[in-house]
Amino acid sequence: MEIHLIVCVKSVILNAPTGKILRSSDSCELNPYDRPALETALRIRDELGGRVTAVSMGPHSCAFALYEAMAMGVDNAVLVCDPALAGSDTLATSSALAAAVKKLSPVDMVFFGTRSADSDTGQVGPQTAVLLDLPLVTNVHAWECKDHGLIVQREADGFLERLEIGFPGVLTINPVSAPPRDLGLSSIDLVFKQGQVQKWSLRELGLPPGCVGEAGSGTRVLALSRADRARKCEFLEGEAEAQVDRLVERLLESGLI
Amino acid sequence: MDIFLSEKNRTVRRSVHTFCARELKPIANEIDQEASFPWDVVEKMGKLGYFGIQVPHELGGAGLDTVGYIIVVEEVSKVCAALGLCISVHNSVAVYPLLAFGSEKQKHKWIPALAKGEKIGAFCLTEPNAGSDASGIEATAIRENDHYVVNANKVFVTNGGVADVCLIFARSDPSAGRKGISVLVTERGAPGFVVGDLEDLCGVRANPVTSIRLYDCRVPVDNLLGKEGMGLRIGLAALDRGRIGVASQAVGIAQAALEASVKYARQRHQFGVPIAKHQALSMMIADMATQVDAARLMTYRAAVLSDQGKPFSQASAMAKLFASETSTTVTDLAVQIHGGYGYSKSYAVERYFRDARVTRIYEGTSEIHRMVIARGVIGS
Repeated sequence: MEIHLIVCVKSVILNAPTGKILRSSDSCELNPYDRPALETALRIRDELGGRVTAVSMGPHSCAFALYEAMAMGVDNAVLVCDPALAGSDTLATSSALAAAVKKLSPVDMVFFGTRSADSDTGQVGPQTAVLLDLPLVTNVHAWECKDHGLIVQREADGFLERLEIGFPGVLTINPVSAPPRDLGLSSIDLVFKQGQVQKWSLRELGLPPGCVGEAGSGTRVLALSRADRARKCEFLEGEAEAQVDRLVERLLESGLI
Repeated sequence: MDIFLSEKNRTVRRSVHTFCARELKPIANEIDQEASFPWDVVEKMGKLGYFGIQVPHELGGAGLDTVGYIIVVEEVSKVCAALGLCISVHNSVAVYPLLAFGSEKQKHKWIPALAKGEKIGAFCLTEPNAGSDASGIEATAIRENDHYVVNANKVFVTNGGVADVCLIFARSDPSAGRKGISVLVTERGAPGFVVGDLEDLCGVRANPVTSIRLYDCRVPVDNLLGKEGMGLRIGLAALDRGRIGVASQAVGIAQAALEASVKYARQRHQFGVPIAKHQALSMMIADMATQVDAARLMTYRAAVLSDQGKPFSQASAMAKLFASETSTTVTDLAVQIHGGYGYSKSYAVERYFRDARVTRIYEGTSEIHRMVIARGVIGS
């Protein structure tokens, strides 16, 4: 059986924007939380045989993230790219990605990172699973292949949970699951010489513009500003033992331990 | 600085940056102090293609161009100049001559293992009495049937302590002067091949720089690179490329010193404000940033000319001269900005200061470069 795995990836903004967001390979990077998801899919492919497709949504300048995915070993890459997608919230993004996954079907498993390094919502994976009407396991820490599915382990609130999930399904992958491989220079060279990113517009996905972009978004960002973290320094007085007691007390008071 | 860079170049830069930040940065100070060669990191770098950057894919290399090569050298040198040097020398003056002047048989014999970092290359030209005047070498390679009997005393061999494949420059015709020099590929372990002690260097200490001596070492005639008497031509062609590598190494060290200085100047408070707010410091940083930028642009220019197949000797000489001098100036200012801490091994700028200094000396001193450049500008 040749399996088909899809990994949804995002190019994330490196620094908090001060004005309009201009996405390019200088201002963005492949979401670090997506790399373990890519790594997991690649390892499962190598074990079971099949292919991996990476999918992203964004302007043309975000194609670099998919080239990186291909340099890691992904077989195909698709960029959902349309001016009408601008301003999409997580729901609109999930709608676009779900449409892309349907178009790429048959699919056995769809992988996401647990969250993105810039907007940090963790919503896109679960929402896409709902839109695709597929079973979902979030925050997967470990996995093993079974016939027609996977045994996965997730950690939640100090408990380890082992679950079985059949193909097709959706997983969000915790970074501890699989440290991502480094990119070899040879792979980078070959991917940029020979690799191709397919670009799909909304029309090719069969999605009406009203489903995505600002029109398809249930939420709207009203304001974005840098959060100032107040830092203060406190010196503990007294003998070492008294200082330790006071330190533990302070940590308890603050809820840190 | 990015105007020359393609998406591929940027991907190369990001990937090398990420790798070095994780693997090399945590050990850079330690391997400098202990003068130890980090084999485990080198092995990983070999698998990632850092030792065959411009080697074609069919010979096991990464197939990148010169711009790709200098990006790798700069990024590695930003974190550890000693390994930047190892990669630069291996790629440009050991592997490149084999690629450019080697027979098909020679290329297939040595390059695949060199390109994967399974074997390390070295370039053995300098002798106790022949440095800037390379034509003054005294090593000899006297032909006896199907071998050359080589006697040589090579000093300051970068990668010498770990090199498996050495390009030995020796006189195959002692009566022919400059035209009597040949290059013989000599492998570690050959009878009469002796590796000297590690040089206790001021900087780039994690690079095992040693002497290499050959005593009646019998090297097969098949190991002659190019033809007899082509030695200086091969050496100069290799050094033209090597200089771009040294320039990018110098740019990497200077960039690291600049970044460390900016970070420190923002954090360190004196007279109630960050020292970056003091005009004397901010002017220093402005000069440092400008010089590093100019050095990088000159280095990219030399690389782009090389990739376009245009003459680049003058550009590479200028880039090497300017980048190495910039590197020593900028690292000196970085120490100044850090004050007493900058003179201490607690801060990396102390290492950058020591590492930068040698870039004005090896692969042609600043003075030799000025001679070469002047000849190009004025005419001989």
